[in-house]
Amino acid sequence: MAGLTLRKNVDSLTPEELQALREAYRKAQAIMDNRGYNYHAGLHGIPNWYCWHHDHVQGSNVNANLFLPWHRAYLLYFERAIRDQAPANAKVALPWWDWSSLASHTTGVPVAFSVPTANGQPNPLYRARIVAPTSNPPINRFTRRFPRNPAQLPSKQNVTDLLNLSQFNDFSTQLEGYHDGIHGWTGGNSGGPNPVGGDMGTVSTAAWDPIFWSHHCMIDRLWYLWQTKHGVNNIPPNLLALSLRPFALTVKDVLSINTLGYEYAVTLIQF
Amino acid sequence: MVTKRRTKRRSKRASKTKSVAALVTAKPAQEAYRVSKVYTSPKSIPIAELPADYSRADLEFIRIDHSGASYEGRVFLNNPGADENTPTVEETGYAGSFYIFGHGGCFGDVGHCEVNGKKDAFDPRPSHPLEPIRKVVIATAAIKRAAAQSKEIGVTVVPIVVSWTEQTDLTNVMNFDHINLVAYD
Repeated sequence: MAGLTLRKNVDSLTPEELQALREAYRKAQAIMDNRGYNYHAGLHGIPNWYCWHHDHVQGSNVNANLFLPWHRAYLLYFERAIRDQAPANAKVALPWWDWSSLASHTTGVPVAFSVPTANGQPNPLYRARIVAPTSNPPINRFTRRFPRNPAQLPSKQNVTDLLNLSQFNDFSTQLEGYHDGIHGWTGGNSGGPNPVGGDMGTVSTAAWDPIFWSHHCMIDRLWYLWQTKHGVNNIPPNLLALSLRPFALTVKDVLSINTLGYEYAVTLIQF
Repeated sequence: MVTKRRTKRRSKRASKTKSVAALVTAKPAQEAYRVSKVYTSPKSIPIAELPADYSRADLEFIRIDHSGASYEGRVFLNNPGADENTPTVEETGYAGSFYIFGHGGCFGDVGHCEVNGKKDAFDPRPSHPLEPIRKVVIATAAIKRAAAQSKEIGVTVVPIVVSWTEQTDLTNVMNFDHINLVAYD
C-alpha cells in the first residue's frame, strides 16, 4: 500500500538501508532526553517497568494478556523516535530478526548486530550504553550479550504450528513462550568461574540491547501473519478498550498495522 | 472472531514439592548454564482420570515465580531421575519445555518487588509486574505415550538457568504452586 513503511528482514536490508538504520540508532543513543534511545529502553524494565508480560488485571478487573498489543505500541513509538533522527528520505524502519531462518540456525545473531564495528565506527546495533542512575544499584555500562547454540532457536515448524493455533489467548501464550526462550538464548551468560548474564536475558535491562527491537519486530510480524490467517480483530472484545500505558493508544488502536502506518513482507523469497 | 472453540476441559491438580539437585556449571562457554533445584511431583496423575479420547493435552504450571533468573524448564514424564544431561527426546519421557524471562532480581528500593494485591475496585493501575504467572506446555504426544505405558504419570521439571543478573539468587530459581493436566476434546 502506498505511503506505508515496509519493515524488512534485517538480512534483506540494502547496504544503504543498514547504514541509515545505524546512523539513526547512533544519533538516538547520543540523546539522553525523552527523544533518545536511553529513555525508550528505560520504559520496558528498569527504571519505569511499563512492559506487559503474561496476564495482569487492570482497572476493570479484566484479566488481560496484553503482551502483543503493548509491544506493538512500544515498537511504534521507538521506531518513530529513531526515524526522527534520520533524514526524511531515508524511511528508516525497524527490521525483524527471523530467528527461525536457516541463516539464524547457522550463525545465530545476524551479522548486522554481531559486528563490533561498521564502516570504521562502533556499531550501534552491537551494543548500547545503559544509563540508569535511579536503579538500585545504579547502572552505567555497555550492554553485553552471550548468545547460545543457534540450533536451539525455534524452527520453521515451530512457527507453522504456532500460526495454526486459532484462539488469540492460546496463540499469544505460546508465542510469548518462544519469546521468553529467545531472550534467555540471546542474553545467555559469559560462563567461566564468575559468569555474568547478558542483558537480553532479563526483563530489567533487555530493551537496551539493540537486538531487542528486531526480536520484537519478529514477534510483532508473527502476530500480523496470524491476523492475516485468523482475522485482524480476532482478540477477546473485553480487551479492546484497555490502555497501553504509557502510550496514547488502546488495544483497539493497534490491531491493524496498516492504520499504524507500516506493513510487513508476508513471504520473502531470496534468490 | 474465534473460529474454533475447545470444550470440555478436565484437569487434575498435583501438589507442590521440591527435591534437591546439585548446582552445576557446564564447561563450554557457549553452552554455559546452571541447574537449580529439580522438581518431582509427589503424586502421580492416575491415567483413569484422563478422558478416553482427546485432541490435545496441556501441562499448565500455575503461579510461577518470574522475579529472578531466566531459565528453561524441561518437563519429563515418568522419569524422576531426569537431570541436565537427560536428552530431550521422547524416549526419556521429554514432554516439552517452558521458558521463563526473569526480571533479574530487584532493582528498586525496599518494597519495590513485593507483590501487593489489588487494593480496591477503583484502583486503575495494573497488577504488580511480579504477579506469578502461568505457563502452558502442549504435551499431547508425550502424555499419550506415558498413558500407553503406565497407569500413572509423574512429572519432573529440570530448570536450566541461562541468564541472570548480580541481583539474582541462583540456588532456588524455580517455584510454582501446582500443575494442571488439561485435556481437550
